[in-house]
Amino acid sequence: MSPAADEQSAASPASRARNRSPARRRRTARRRRTARVFGLGALYVILLGYAAVVILPMIWLLYTSLKSNREIFAGAWDLPHALHWENFVYAWVRAGIGRYFLNSVFVTVVSVALILIVSAMAAYALTRFTFRGNRLIFYAFLVGLMIPTQLALVPLFFLINSLRLLDTYTGLILVYVAFSLPFTIFVLAAFFRTLPHELAEAALIDGCTHSQAFWRVMLPLAKPGLVTAAIFNFLGIWNEYLFALVFISSEKLRTLPLGLANLLIVSHYESDWGALFAGLVMVMIPTLLAYSLLQGQLTKGITVGALKG
Amino acid sequence: MKRDARRAVILFLLPACGLYAVLFLYPVISSLALSLYDWDGFTHKRQYVGLDNFTRLLTNDPMFWTALKHNLFLLTVPTVIILVVALFFAAALSSGVRGARLFRITYFFPNVISMVAITLLWFFIYNPTFGLLNGLLRPVTGGKVTIVWLDPNHIMGSLVAPIVWCSLGFYLVLFLAGMENIPHTYYDAAKVDGANAWQQFRSITMPLLWDVITIGVVFLIIGGLRIFDLIYVMALGYPNEQSQVIATYLYEQAFNNAHMGYGIAIAVVLFVLVFAATAIAMRVMRREQLEY
Repeated sequence: MSPAADEQSAASPASRARNRSPARRRRTARRRRTARVFGLGALYVILLGYAAVVILPMIWLLYTSLKSNREIFAGAWDLPHALHWENFVYAWVRAGIGRYFLNSVFVTVVSVALILIVSAMAAYALTRFTFRGNRLIFYAFLVGLMIPTQLALVPLFFLINSLRLLDTYTGLILVYVAFSLPFTIFVLAAFFRTLPHELAEAALIDGCTHSQAFWRVMLPLAKPGLVTAAIFNFLGIWNEYLFALVFISSEKLRTLPLGLANLLIVSHYESDWGALFAGLVMVMIPTLLAYSLLQGQLTKGITVGALKG
Repeated sequence: MKRDARRAVILFLLPACGLYAVLFLYPVISSLALSLYDWDGFTHKRQYVGLDNFTRLLTNDPMFWTALKHNLFLLTVPTVIILVVALFFAAALSSGVRGARLFRITYFFPNVISMVAITLLWFFIYNPTFGLLNGLLRPVTGGKVTIVWLDPNHIMGSLVAPIVWCSLGFYLVLFLAGMENIPHTYYDAAKVDGANAWQQFRSITMPLLWDVITIGVVFLIIGGLRIFDLIYVMALGYPNEQSQVIATYLYEQAFNNAHMGYGIAIAVVLFVLVFAATAIAMRVMRREQLEY
């Protein structure tokens, strides 16, 4: 754009306003204010509308879970006449949600603990020490971030089978740990890099071994990074479905996603929908509780991870 | 390096490297090799067939192309919707509306629910007799309209809503964080010059947010190609030609039909697609680096 044209376009709104009569100027100002109030109102309607799209299904789910099977079919939006808490009892005990829940707690807690320990040790070694192959190992882990898990799935199934770990928690947990390493090492390495190395040096001078310097000095300092990594791994493993589907076959070892999906497939033929609604509510409530406690850290973690990565 | 330091490095790296090499790298690499074999997985008879699995997959398997078509649909339509809506909401929430934090927390919540639970929830929402959606439609249309949302004609379209619903919050948070990094003075200057909200968004927010949007597009494309849980559970474990995607087709071939070599070949193609799509997206969206 030529300088003259630029000047003209910049000056034109102001000069046009100067040429108008006062009454007309007042009218345009009022109209603009109405437009802004109207626009803001429309914006709130849209924002609240989408909030309803998120929340309404959950409220609907919650009160439908207290209906009898007949009531469920009578009217989708009708409130229950009496509260059928037996749906929850049925889902928790007979349909096995209680067992699946405890299974998931066990698998997730053990996996996350192992992931954090193994990844923190590796991330520390890779950032604290310089040695031949350091870069190579770090990049080998990074490559894992780009490979879809499905690529490893079939040979992994036969590997776990030949280790006699099929349909065991050991097998499932080891797989979870191995597949979480790239992400976790990546996050923790970024964190360890920000810690001053002098602290570890000082610990060594004070007579600590390298292990002691790591466990007693550096690891506690890495707590914020560990918390972020723990939250993401917890969510990922708590919700994981494909590996559980492939590696777990017995009913009593099912994790929550596996049990829930199976319940749908069974219910679909037996059609005890009330219990299925109740099961789903029981799956969502812990997630909702954990989310309301940790959402700040969660969203912060995402932005740090994604924007720096 | 001193001896005790070397010993510490080995000790610290051993568990991670061992697990990663055995349970991740080894299966990935053997996938590349096993895709060249015909193998049922249970006998030791493995027959080397060269690229036969791939030629059959690409030239003589209509189901693969159907699955790929579904993947392409699921990585374009929801991606466009999510990008537009998330950018709009991010711009709205960063403009200082009241309750922005509460909106963000609400919108993000579906992101932490397991995909199986989300599938189940939408399975209920879409149920033709007791579902939430038809429950809304019936009074509005005088009881005349009942849509079977998950029937063969509607299922692909019906899968868009759960995908948008469960992942919108992530991209909203991503874009919000990116917008917070844009200096406020730019907007002040634009306001002085008389730029309206759309002009500010187009000339300041979009260019300065471009790298973050690129990250979002790459995530969405990878997610659209790898999608499994939603399709598999929605189809009660047996997706057919109406909703089959690459990942479910891989699972069916390998674990239901015991065509291991063929299943692995599908996995390799999926891997290549993910890589190619990522590269293309980054290439298309690349532009000069902006410093600010």
